[in-house]
Amino acid sequence: MTPRWRYWFLGALVLAVVIAAIYLPILRRNIRQAAKLQQRSEEQARRELSQPTVINPSDPKVKAKLFWASGADDGTLSAVNVELPLSSDPVLRAKQVLNTLLAGPVDIELRTVPPDAALLAFYLLPDGTAIADFSEALATSIPSGIQSEQMAVDSIARTLEANVPKVRRLKILIHGQEVETLAGHLDLSQAFLVNANASAGPRAAVGAGQAAMALTLTPTAAPVKLAAPATKP
Amino acid sequence: MLDPAHGGTDLGARGTGGIHESDIVLEFAAQVRTALEAQGFQVVQTRQGNANPSFDDRSAMANAQRGAIFVTLHIASTGVPGTARVYVMNEMVPGTDATGLIPWDRAQAPFASLSRKLGDQVSALLAQRFKGSPAAAQTASVRQLRTTAAPAIAVEISSVTVEDRAQIDHMAPGIADAIARGAAAFRPTYVVPSNPGERP
Repeated sequence: MTPRWRYWFLGALVLAVVIAAIYLPILRRNIRQAAKLQQRSEEQARRELSQPTVINPSDPKVKAKLFWASGADDGTLSAVNVELPLSSDPVLRAKQVLNTLLAGPVDIELRTVPPDAALLAFYLLPDGTAIADFSEALATSIPSGIQSEQMAVDSIARTLEANVPKVRRLKILIHGQEVETLAGHLDLSQAFLVNANASAGPRAAVGAGQAAMALTLTPTAAPVKLAAPATKP
Repeated sequence: MLDPAHGGTDLGARGTGGIHESDIVLEFAAQVRTALEAQGFQVVQTRQGNANPSFDDRSAMANAQRGAIFVTLHIASTGVPGTARVYVMNEMVPGTDATGLIPWDRAQAPFASLSRKLGDQVSALLAQRFKGSPAAAQTASVRQLRTTAAPAIAVEISSVTVEDRAQIDHMAPGIADAIARGAAAFRPTYVVPSNPGERP
């Protein structure tokens, strides 16, 4: 190669590197935006398919009991009576009370679930097992910790317990998927027993410990021996 | 068995000042370990550095030991700063099996009352040390505890939201002392099963 050609070649190489240096960050940003848009549109599609159940004014008005934080800073919940027109159909009724719970109390400090969390779907099986599918925000926007995650699940379970007697067990899904924990601590791999003490009725204020007594975990999967765990190790 | 929760890419709770749960619990674990060893315990950690073993891996380390107690350390992103809580697993239906082995996904069930005893001992000491902390253990469906076949508690400290990291660091000696003394007080009540994986 002659020196002249070498200069041309090196010049072209430098030019290519400069163009790549300018173009690559733009390309990376575009890819990231496209991924975000796709994720958002998937979430949007699910939300549109499962529009929040509209409260039907012709339904009889009843005093619904919704469980939000008591404000005591100790993980306790407090029942709040809200007059709502509620359907007699257990699935619609469950959607109505859960959407009201997600909408939050007047005092935003008493929220137990993130404001951007949404109920995507709700199913009730003939044996009383409820499957509540929430958007990813329930897991990603909740403050991480045992206390805060337990409060979120307690408030959902106790609200169902107080207003939808047909629900016996609650399984929580995130974006249609089974997850191991809510945000790194609270076990969502199993179903929660709801309405175990139906005759005793819901309490006005319950601590995390007390609520847990009514929310005994009920293993649904076939037991796996200690000597041979289901996954690792 | 001492378990600094999270680790690796799982940072756990994150504070506004760049405080990560996974880092703090590792530092706390070092102090808890020293305090436990001073009480005559042999201590094994589920992680020494910035690794993130799975929940099952961590439980397996404890389940392979004979006569272990399990303490998992957490820092919350809520709660009154300067307080600490102890959690034990919710009541579970104990598994029955013809072979006598404990089902993996309900491994904690036979140890529930022992965990409660251990939790109450540690809670009482934490409440004395850190005003506003509950005096008894609370129950929660903590994933890490469910598959652990040993008396097991989760200690959660509040919180990563403090402006000055020193506020949390100052708690470490008190937390370590409460866990070590609580475990020492619990020890005489724990009749150790003759084989790992056996019911207490």
